[in-house]
Amino acid sequence: MSPASTSATAQESVPTLTVVAPLFNESQNVRPLVEWILQALETYPETFEVILVDDGSRDGTWNEVRLAAADLRVRGLRLGSNVGQTAAMMAGFDNARGEVIVSLDGDLQNDPRDIQALVSKLDEGYDLVCGWRQQRQDKLILRKVPSWLANRLIRGLTGVPIRDNGCSLKAYRRELLQRIPLYAEQHRFIPALSASVGARITEMPVRHHARRFGESKYGISRTVKVLADLITLKMITTFRSRPLLGFGLATLPALGVALVFGALWVFSLTHFGPEKAGALVFPGAGLLALGVAFYLFMLGLVAEVALSSERGDASDIPNAWEVR
Amino acid sequence: MSAPQTLMEPATGPSGPRTVAGLGFISVVVPVVERADDLVAVYRAFGRELDALPQKHEFLFVFDGSITPAPELVALARQNEGVRILRFAREFGETAALQLGIEKSRGDLIITLPAYFQVQPEGIHRLLDAVSAGADMVVANRSPRLDGWLNRMQSRAFQSIIGGASEHRFHDMACGVRVMRRPVAQALPLYGDLHRFIPALALREGFRVDEVAVPQHPGDARMRVYGPGVYVRRLLDLAAFFFLAKFTEKPLRFFGLVGSLFIAAGTALSLVLFIQRVDGQGIANRPALLLAVLFLALGVQLMGLGLVGEIIVHLRAPHRRAYRVRERA
Repeated sequence: MSPASTSATAQESVPTLTVVAPLFNESQNVRPLVEWILQALETYPETFEVILVDDGSRDGTWNEVRLAAADLRVRGLRLGSNVGQTAAMMAGFDNARGEVIVSLDGDLQNDPRDIQALVSKLDEGYDLVCGWRQQRQDKLILRKVPSWLANRLIRGLTGVPIRDNGCSLKAYRRELLQRIPLYAEQHRFIPALSASVGARITEMPVRHHARRFGESKYGISRTVKVLADLITLKMITTFRSRPLLGFGLATLPALGVALVFGALWVFSLTHFGPEKAGALVFPGAGLLALGVAFYLFMLGLVAEVALSSERGDASDIPNAWEVR
Repeated sequence: MSAPQTLMEPATGPSGPRTVAGLGFISVVVPVVERADDLVAVYRAFGRELDALPQKHEFLFVFDGSITPAPELVALARQNEGVRILRFAREFGETAALQLGIEKSRGDLIITLPAYFQVQPEGIHRLLDAVSAGADMVVANRSPRLDGWLNRMQSRAFQSIIGGASEHRFHDMACGVRVMRRPVAQALPLYGDLHRFIPALALREGFRVDEVAVPQHPGDARMRVYGPGVYVRRLLDLAAFFFLAKFTEKPLRFFGLVGSLFIAAGTALSLVLFIQRVDGQGIANRPALLLAVLFLALGVQLMGLGLVGEIIVHLRAPHRRAYRVRERA
């Protein structure tokens, strides 16, 4: 999966921990961030690396990254265009050499001093440790309220008991990230996606700071998109390996509606006679509903065809761990 | 992709690997699809310009099935190692011809040229200069343009529609004169009729694309009017490009939006009918009921289509990456 991990064997010591920070127009934040991370990891007993991913910034972030990369523990990746947080994180993950990976925001709002705590929590036997911004330092109406609602929705829909899906500060086992290739804007759904492949997940409170430099890249406009993404998430996590079941279940309401209209037709035929019930409205509506049920079933078959051509990957097998 | 390869027959010329493959080797790919001038003249004019460079070059003429190479060109390919002719056994179109040319070429730098004089040959140096200056791909912008007002309006309308679908506005995306580095050419997700959008595709793949003004050739400036079928096809190409640009990763955002509009309309109509029914009006003979159910049915079907799209995207995810690393530090 990661081309860098194979070519890195020449290095004397492969780092065991990789810290990934995506950056988009954060030139002022790069240097303090790197200093802070290196300082926080000074006491870390093993080797580590920091990967800074410049997500197509236009404000000189890359120059700062290059300066920071003078330190051998720091590596920089510059992406060709602005592809968004999920893809930028994915670039970092693909190039990470550590068995443990920690992601955090490039805007200094996450506190690197929490990294070691997250890693030791991971070592207690988890595949994913999520940061939980207990005291979040953001605007109430624009950020905290929508985020609270979204978290409630995600929790209710997926049943994964994580209170803060949006926090970027997370620790993962590399093995887990290889099972859940992220795309589009799925970084919010990492806990739910991880749970769907059988990962052991926990959360712990982390510190959170108000933004010092630069501007937030998110506004309230994303809520509609998040809703569409949630439907997808539910579909994919529940019916990933058996779409026909999902579509089959979806035919039931349509069949029910068809049945109701059919009954209405029979009822009006027997009670009012063919003249009064002569209009084709009831049977027409019933047939339409029946058509929908048939169509959904066929779509389910198409989904099965799409699935069967990709099946047989090792990533189909759920995650398991050795009990010792 | 595989079909053109199996059906293509190398027409003439020597086969086997040639010695020239060093750094800076230039390949010129000329798809010969619809309109073609005297190709030997095209070769002479542009070859003369390229001869002035230290790099060696080769010309690949890719003939679509409907066009037969002129005997003069075949003779030229026989004498000259630097001229190769490839032929499709039947019509596959310009995109396939470009793909084949790129695949069979050996240059580190690939120039695409139309099979007729579109720009003044000496303009090619401006494009090459821009590549030396660091661009991954450079496209020509025919300027000053000698076209009549009708063709100018056509191309302006086309470009402004594309402008809405791409983050960068290109002035002359239809121009077939482009210079690109080999990795760019190989990374282009080309299929169907997407060759018209090559600059926008390269930009979306994360490459640096520059535009350079090159004087138009007088021979290119004659009046072009196409049948209605051509315009319909162009518009469909545009729709496909627009859709792919916005929703390749998130089909449900598109189908879900359209579908939920239908569902909302259907629900509203049903609600009105329900209130009227409670009010005492019968609904059994109202076609409006059929319309409401039809809207709901369409909405559900669109949502279902979007979900199948999402499943396909999800299945492709392990093999696809949305980012391209430009530089490492």
